[in-house]
Amino acid sequence: MWLDINAYVGHWPFHQVRYNTCRTLLERMNQFGVDISVIANMNGIFYKNTQSANEELWQEIRSERRFRDRFIPFAIINPSYAGWRNDLKICVEKWGMKGVRVYPKYHDYEVTDPSLTELVQRARDYGIPVAFQLRMVDSRSRSWMDIAYVNGKASPQKEWTVKSIVPVVKAVPDAKFLILNVANGIFVDKGGDMELFRKAEIVFDTSGRQVSNLGNLLKTYGNGKFAFGTHSPFLDYLTGMLRIAALREAEADDNVRALVRSGNAKRILGIV
Amino acid sequence: MKIGRRSFLRQTTLTSTAIALAGPYAALGSEKKRIESSYEIMEKMRKYRKFDAHAHVGMNRSHPDDAARQIDENDRLGIEWASISYPVLSREVPFRPEEARENNDVIYKAMKRFPNRFIGFFTLNPHFPKESLEEIKRCVDLGFRGYKGYLQVKINDPLYYPIIEKLIDLKMICLMHAECEIGVGGHRMKYDIGEKAFATIPEDMIEAARRYPEAIFQWAHIGGGGDWEYMCKSFADIPNIYVDCSGSNNEEGIVDGAIRILGEDRIFFGTDNSFYQGVGKILASNTSEAQKRKLFFDNYNNMLRKGGYHVA
Repeated sequence: MWLDINAYVGHWPFHQVRYNTCRTLLERMNQFGVDISVIANMNGIFYKNTQSANEELWQEIRSERRFRDRFIPFAIINPSYAGWRNDLKICVEKWGMKGVRVYPKYHDYEVTDPSLTELVQRARDYGIPVAFQLRMVDSRSRSWMDIAYVNGKASPQKEWTVKSIVPVVKAVPDAKFLILNVANGIFVDKGGDMELFRKAEIVFDTSGRQVSNLGNLLKTYGNGKFAFGTHSPFLDYLTGMLRIAALREAEADDNVRALVRSGNAKRILGIV
Repeated sequence: MKIGRRSFLRQTTLTSTAIALAGPYAALGSEKKRIESSYEIMEKMRKYRKFDAHAHVGMNRSHPDDAARQIDENDRLGIEWASISYPVLSREVPFRPEEARENNDVIYKAMKRFPNRFIGFFTLNPHFPKESLEEIKRCVDLGFRGYKGYLQVKINDPLYYPIIEKLIDLKMICLMHAECEIGVGGHRMKYDIGEKAFATIPEDMIEAARRYPEAIFQWAHIGGGGDWEYMCKSFADIPNIYVDCSGSNNEEGIVDGAIRILGEDRIFFGTDNSFYQGVGKILASNTSEAQKRKLFFDNYNNMLRKGGYHVA
C-alpha cells in the first residue's frame, strides 16, 4: 500500500492549485493508487490564528465517511500565537489529529525559539510527530508577496536545509520528526549530528529534489528513515512515488520497499 | 498508583482519539476497503520512448564517470536518448577561448562512448566570434547536432547574430539557458544574488526569435527556476520558440499549463539531470497517451529531423 505523508488541502494565495480539497485529492489518490494521505490545511500557514484552519480541516474530513477512511489530519500550530497549548490539546484530544506541522519562517520565529521546543516536547508527550517543511514552493519561482527567501549564493535569507532542523532535534531528541520536501542539503554533519539523526525517530519524505538517489540515502540514513510523500498539490503527484518504485532489488528488497511505501509512515504515526 | 504526565497524556489521547475518529483509516486495516494500487507506475513509465532534450555530461565533478552514471539513471527510467552538452561555465572575464573547445571534447568522448544513447550539442562563448565560428565547423564535422548556450551573452546580443545565422544554415536547434525575471533573481530579476546580468530572459529570446523567425529556439527548463506561467505566456505568440520542461522544479500542473498556453507541439521532455522530476511531471499530467508520446519523444525528434539530426 501507499501512504502519502505529505499532502495538503486549502488555498495557496500566490498561484492556482488543484486537487486541494478532500474530494479532489481523493480522486487523485484513486487515480494513482494511493491508499492514505496525511493532510494539513495550508490555510493555517496564512491565518494568524491557525486553529481556524485546523477546524476547517476537521469539519471537511468529518463531512464524509470516505474522507475519514482515507485521510489522516495534522494540525498546524504556531507556538508564538496565544492559546496554542489549548489549540494543540483540542486538535489531538478532541479532533484526533495525528501530528503537528510547524512553519517557523512563515510564522516568523526561530527554530531555537523556546516555544517551539515546548511544542515539540508536548507533541512527544502525546506520541505524535512534528513535521518541518523545508520548502513550500521553489524560491526561484516565488511570488513577490511570498516570504523573502531566495536560494541564491548572496541571498540574505536562504532556504532551509536539513541542518536547519538540527537545533530542535538536539533540544528534544526523543521526539518524532518528519522532514518534508527536502529540496536542499539532505546531509547533516558527519559525526555527532549524523549519529543523532540516525538514532532519533526521524523520517524524510520522498518528494524533495534532494532525494535523487534513494538507494544511497537508505544506506546512509537507514531503511527506517524514508517514507513516500508527494507534497501535493505543489509538486507533481508521481515523482515521489517514482523514486521508490524505481529502486532496484540490490538497493531495496520487497521488505524495504514496503517500509518506504507505508511501513515507516505507519510506525512514526503510531498506527501500525 | 502515580501516573506521570507523559503516560497520562498518551492514555488520554488514545481514548479521545478513538472517540473523535471512530472507524478512521479503514484503508489501513480492512482488506475489503483497502485500495489496491491499480496504477503500476513502472509499467506506465516504460510505455513511452523517451528522448531527453536537455541533459549534461561533465558537470558533475563529484562523480568520476558521470557519463556512465547518467546512462545508468537513463536505463532505470527508460530514457532511450539524451541530448547532452557541457556549457561554458565561466561567468565573467577573463574568459578563455579554449573553454568551449575543452567542454565540447568532453561531450564528444561521451558521444563516441555511447553512440546509441547520446547526441551531442556543442557550446560556445560568443565573446570570441572568430573562434566560435571555427568551433561550430569543428563540431559539425565531429557529428554534433545542435547548440547549447549559457550565461556569457544574452541571446539577443549582436555577438550572437553570426552564430544564430550559422545555426539557421545548419537547421540546428539553439538551446539557450534562460531565466525568468520573476524567478531566480526575484521579482524583476535582481542580479545581485549570484546571477549575472547576461542571463537570457523571455523578452530577450522573443527579440531574437522575431529577428530570426526561421531559427529554432529552445527555451531551457521551464522547471528550472523562474515562473513557468510567465515564461509560457511570454512565448504564446512566438511560434519558433519551443520549451523543454526540464529542471528540478516539478510543480504540479506545469505540463498541463504549458500545453494549455503553447499547444502540444512546442514542448519537449527534458531533465537537466533531474531525472525523476523530468519523467514524473509528464506521467502525472492530464495528457492523453498520444500527447505523452509527443512530449516524451516525438516533438523533439521531429524538430531534430528538420536538419537530419533525428534518431531512428
